[in-house]
Amino acid sequence: MGKIKEYFKIAIRNLRTRSLRSWLTILGVVIGVFLIVGLLSLSEGIKATINEQLKGLGGEMIFIMPGEMSATGMMGMMMGGEKLEKADITAIEKTKDVDEVLTMSYSSSVMRYKDEGKTVFLGGLGGQPWEKGAEILKRFQGWSLNEGRWPISGKREVIIGIQIANEIFKEKVKVGTQTTIQGRRFEIVGILNSLGSKTDDSFVYLDMDLYQSITGGGKGSAQIAIVKIKEGASLNRVAENIKENLQETRKRKTGTDEADFSVITSDKITKITGDILAIIQFAIVIFASIAILVGGIGIMNTMFTSVRERTREIGIMKAIGAKNSTILIIFLIEASIIGLIGGLGGTILGAGMAKLIETYGQVHPVFYFSASISPALIAFGLFFSFFVGCLAGFLPAKRATMLKPVEALRRYE
Amino acid sequence: MKPIIKLENVWKTYQLGKVELVALKGINLEITPGAFVTIMGASGSGKSTLLNIIGCLDIPTKGKVFLRGQDVSLLSEDKLSQIRGKTIGFVFQEFNLLPNLNALENVELPMIFQEVSQTFREKKAKELLISVGLGKRIFHQPAELSAGERQRVAIARSFANDPELVIADEPTGNLDSVSGKKIMEILTDFHKKRGKTIIVVTHDPNIAKYSKEIVNIKDGQIIHNHFQTEKVLWGK
Repeated sequence: MGKIKEYFKIAIRNLRTRSLRSWLTILGVVIGVFLIVGLLSLSEGIKATINEQLKGLGGEMIFIMPGEMSATGMMGMMMGGEKLEKADITAIEKTKDVDEVLTMSYSSSVMRYKDEGKTVFLGGLGGQPWEKGAEILKRFQGWSLNEGRWPISGKREVIIGIQIANEIFKEKVKVGTQTTIQGRRFEIVGILNSLGSKTDDSFVYLDMDLYQSITGGGKGSAQIAIVKIKEGASLNRVAENIKENLQETRKRKTGTDEADFSVITSDKITKITGDILAIIQFAIVIFASIAILVGGIGIMNTMFTSVRERTREIGIMKAIGAKNSTILIIFLIEASIIGLIGGLGGTILGAGMAKLIETYGQVHPVFYFSASISPALIAFGLFFSFFVGCLAGFLPAKRATMLKPVEALRRYE
Repeated sequence: MKPIIKLENVWKTYQLGKVELVALKGINLEITPGAFVTIMGASGSGKSTLLNIIGCLDIPTKGKVFLRGQDVSLLSEDKLSQIRGKTIGFVFQEFNLLPNLNALENVELPMIFQEVSQTFREKKAKELLISVGLGKRIFHQPAELSAGERQRVAIARSFANDPELVIADEPTGNLDSVSGKKIMEILTDFHKKRGKTIIVVTHDPNIAKYSKEIVNIKDGQIIHNHFQTEKVLWGK
């Protein structure tokens, strides 16, 4: 062991002699590890945040949307192009083991408060949302009141997102005041806590009946339906039944059996989200690995140059009794020190960046998530860079040991 | 007496492109403990090649080299390194100190390779540096020392592991006459006081004067000798 300590001292001395080059090489590793640690901790954090939100679903929800579940279908749904008709919703409600159905429609509209008019999102909630659907809302969206109370069905009452209350209008919107939407007056009875994004917090929610009387949509229709199933029922079975019922209803009405709606369970959403996140993480690991690889090549380059420069030194050391293994160890120590310092710097910077973005995200709700800097990730960053250092240093070190002492001494004479 | 090093019909050939250069042509040589030998020869005579082979830094193309009776061609590279480090000390024309290490560390290095304990190592290195007159410069880097001082550090280093044999290749070649004289005095002194076998290679007759035993080499062959004792033997 004492021997290794001495070699370590020699290695450090050698690195310091080529201080600028050593630091530049270290920088190369720092960037690679910085990317790996930074991106992985962020993506882990995003995953944890999303999983937490998905857990709120309880795994017992079914979502029914008009249109195929595809990118354009999504857009269609968002833009309110296609709709679930009243007959569709009735079919859903009548399906076996369906407990509650909450329907929703979205559009944008101008909201007037005091002397100001601003465009906000309007969300209509059907199926007695405040009484029976409240559980779905609380569990699905994580709704909770910041102030005031829930509206009463049938009354001209609305609740608003916190963004509308605090940011959109010059004056803060207060509970108990009046607002005008599409020429009708409503009382604001409650303000919701933040739902996680600026968009979600810029909604005015009201009864579906009121919503449809304002927007003029078909009575009883909706853009999305959320179903809570009875306890003990099978989620997939109910989803299948809903699909069948909807298909039958459509067939009766239009004569076709084209499925232009999507029935998705919360389990499936969790799975899809998980899959997407896994792909993203995989891509991150690939990119970051390339960065590390480049860092490793940097180490190799530096070490090869170093072997060339120090050919004579290697010859001297061999002449005065250094074994091949000694030369190998000294060069490997040098390479792994570069790797390890680079890894340490990269880990600190990466974790720092993740923390910084997290802090930023807490101020700006758009980026809301936490960074996950686990000890395992830090250990991984350090070990990985050390490993890359050893690996990159091995070939140059091997070349150094293969020099014949007499040739090494003769070189550059 | 058993020779420290014995060369048996040693040939060394270098391939320079298509031309074959024969550097050594059938050298037979035995060096017994306690000798102070000078190998003399002009540039290109093969004396450096001979020195490298005596020092086990290089292997002959043909023939055998015995280090303390052991055929070196049968030793692994690592084993040879270790035996060489223990048995032979080197002094080079260009000093060949490690520039990153200070004088003390340079002298300690051969002992580190032999896994000598730190306390002993430091004591020994200091003692050697003091005996070459560098007691006040033990923490200086090579760059901070004069050429003569550097060579003195190199001599101290060559004696670090108490080798039986010290080989000096043109030790005064890069030095002025005053420093050169000092170096030769140290070597002579170490030879007498420590009883070491010393081989000096030079082309300078003034340096050869320090030694009683001279081997002249020309065109890869030993041509003449001035031995007063029978410590050095050569064949035929």
